[in-house]
Amino acid sequence: MSNSLEQSFVTQLKENQNIVHKICRLYTSGEDAHNDLFQEITIQLWKAFPKFRGDSKFSTWAYRVGLNTAITLYRKSTRTVATTDMEGKRQFIAPDDYNFEEEEQIKLLYKAVHQLNDIEKALVFMYLEDKDYEEIAETLGISEVNARVKMNRIKGKLKKIVNP
Amino acid sequence: MTEELDLLKKAWKKDAHVYEQVNENQIYKMIHKRSSSIVKWILMISIAELILWAGISLLTIDDNYLKTLEMYHIDTLFKVLSVINYVIVFFFIYMFYKNFKTISTTETVKKLMSSIIKTRKTVQYYIWYNLAMFALIFIIVVISQITYDPSINSVLENAKDSNPQAFWIVIGLTYFVLFAVTFGLFWLFYRLIYGFLMRRLYKNYEELKKMDF
Repeated sequence: MSNSLEQSFVTQLKENQNIVHKICRLYTSGEDAHNDLFQEITIQLWKAFPKFRGDSKFSTWAYRVGLNTAITLYRKSTRTVATTDMEGKRQFIAPDDYNFEEEEQIKLLYKAVHQLNDIEKALVFMYLEDKDYEEIAETLGISEVNARVKMNRIKGKLKKIVNP
Repeated sequence: MTEELDLLKKAWKKDAHVYEQVNENQIYKMIHKRSSSIVKWILMISIAELILWAGISLLTIDDNYLKTLEMYHIDTLFKVLSVINYVIVFFFIYMFYKNFKTISTTETVKKLMSSIIKTRKTVQYYIWYNLAMFALIFIIVVISQITYDPSINSVLENAKDSNPQAFWIVIGLTYFVLFAVTFGLFWLFYRLIYGFLMRRLYKNYEELKKMDF
């Protein structure tokens, strides 16, 4: 029985692993830290899996457990240095519509997002994932109005960092 | 001009295809590894603390100790105190278990943080309770010792002839320093351990509370 549970979990996580990768992308810098957090989120997802009833999508459920792990449970490994290797595990592939200027600005934006605090990163993450304010508020446990206000402040903050 | 975050969103979506994928085998291996989350650390440290303090009160009771209590006329008082103590210790263990059970990664971020803080606080109160009990017992023993212990009494008799005031000041100061040092060390120890574990959690919790006024 536990084997089929394991099998079902592994299959679903494999399909949805980009959610975890993307959380790691925002919360860590460098490959070691990325793998470390990926590992911890996987363990926490697995631990919580028996409670996952399937009445929500696996991905929605994984967002919450993943963010909770990144923000609260995970102990940053000491080898993580905030400024090194912003590229993380991302492999660089130049797309056809490669635009050097835009790419520079995006790099700058990623750098700016890395400077935000853990809670702000969570808001940015869910915004980038096209989550609506209702879900953002629901995940963090704050009111929708306050989530909206905070998001606007973050946008202003990022604008200032990118265009000083 | 496009808003910065929307520019990032565009890039973010493209990025999703370029993460190095882990395979099923790797995931299998990962779920059998041990977690190193702060909840696990807090649980281990808390259980060690609960056992340590319960152990101290159990181990210190022997025949000699009981005879001394009788001599000091505080044996009945101590029996009553230890019954009260056990009730309170079990209450703390129950509260700890209950709070620990509410820690869940499927709750909201805020709720998860507050249940961890609550669980942690239970153990903190348990420690302060033990230190207070320790202080109370210490005071009771010192008073009975001065009143009933024959060897202490003879020392006191001799001291009275020379300079009683200075004698009491020295005794009082000694006990006070002993207390201050013990409590200070505990305080420092806890600041270090839990400061290390909980600093980030408290910071994030404050940030969330500030946001959700």
